[in-house]
Amino acid sequence: MSMHDFFIVFATCLVTMLLCRCLPLFVLKGRQLPEGLARALGFIPPAAFAALVANDLLSPGMFDAGVWPAAMPLVAAAVVVVVARKTKSLLWCALAGCASYALLAFCFAPGVA
Amino acid sequence: MIQRSDIQPAVHAAIPIMLGYVAIGIPCGILEDSIGMNALQVFFLSCMFYSGAGQFMIPNMWLAGSPLASIIASVSLVNTRQMLYSASFAPMCANERKRLSFLFSATVTDESFGVNMANFATGTWNVPRATIVNICSCTSWTLSNVAGVLIGGALGIPLAIASFAMTSIFICLLVTQKITFENVIAAVVAIVGVFTCKAVGLAGPAILVGAILGVVAAMLVSQVRRQRRAEDAALEERVAKAAGKEDDAR
Repeated sequence: MSMHDFFIVFATCLVTMLLCRCLPLFVLKGRQLPEGLARALGFIPPAAFAALVANDLLSPGMFDAGVWPAAMPLVAAAVVVVVARKTKSLLWCALAGCASYALLAFCFAPGVA
Repeated sequence: MIQRSDIQPAVHAAIPIMLGYVAIGIPCGILEDSIGMNALQVFFLSCMFYSGAGQFMIPNMWLAGSPLASIIASVSLVNTRQMLYSASFAPMCANERKRLSFLFSATVTDESFGVNMANFATGTWNVPRATIVNICSCTSWTLSNVAGVLIGGALGIPLAIASFAMTSIFICLLVTQKITFENVIAAVVAIVGVFTCKAVGLAGPAILVGAILGVVAAMLVSQVRRQRRAEDAALEERVAKAAGKEDDAR
């Protein structure tokens, strides 16, 4: 990534981030959100996280190279789901995810890692 | 303002987040290094933009060949969830100074939101303490990212495994959402949306489009369900009234 591209991404993302982080707090100090907007904001986390997970794990033609290379992250993801439900801890999930992915890759597909 | 007595409990509350950020920050730094960002760029990105999801997405999308506009739009969309956190902290900052409120709100993350909200609920918390939690977390994140850039190559962690740390965190954040009918709809539609976008060759804006479709679908479903509930309530009321009239007639 060139310095020029980095600066564009950095500056724009920083501005939108600061607006999202600070504006609602300063606008709402002691006021109520419109009901519909509050509800829509509430749907952003499940939709956004699901989209991010799907983007990482799924793609058309993912099984073209055989079942295992695409199934490996799915199996690791299933382990993370169990750990998440049990611990609700981001740290444990990150560790469990990487460990199970690494273990699966090491045992079954040395080429991936 | 921040008092000495605020420091100890705040740092104590921040420790789990700080450890978590070391685990995620180093792989994130490795990934940033892999697309040619240097330590100084990563330093500013980490302490000012300060977003785990965003800083993983930028290199990942860049490596996938996404155009800049689509990277910016996707990262910004993912970060709109911060509005919800910001809105929920508004009451706590009602009587706080502007400068501290700004510093606090500019450094909120998914993890520090969770920790601070839980502490505010106990009644022992205040904005200075919450701000210290945020700053400790941000420091840990920044140092870990820079460490990832500097020592990343030497560690030799494969990128596929390092970036799975963030996938795991997204899975955790998804799975720990409240399981309501509307939330499930939002998630399922978002997943289908992302897959469909990729299938028709729109891999760049897939996250953006998928998430928006999810939110819209959940809004529609919740609208229909609320209407139905309102109709049911109205019907019940009419039945009750009719029954009351019958009683009167007798």
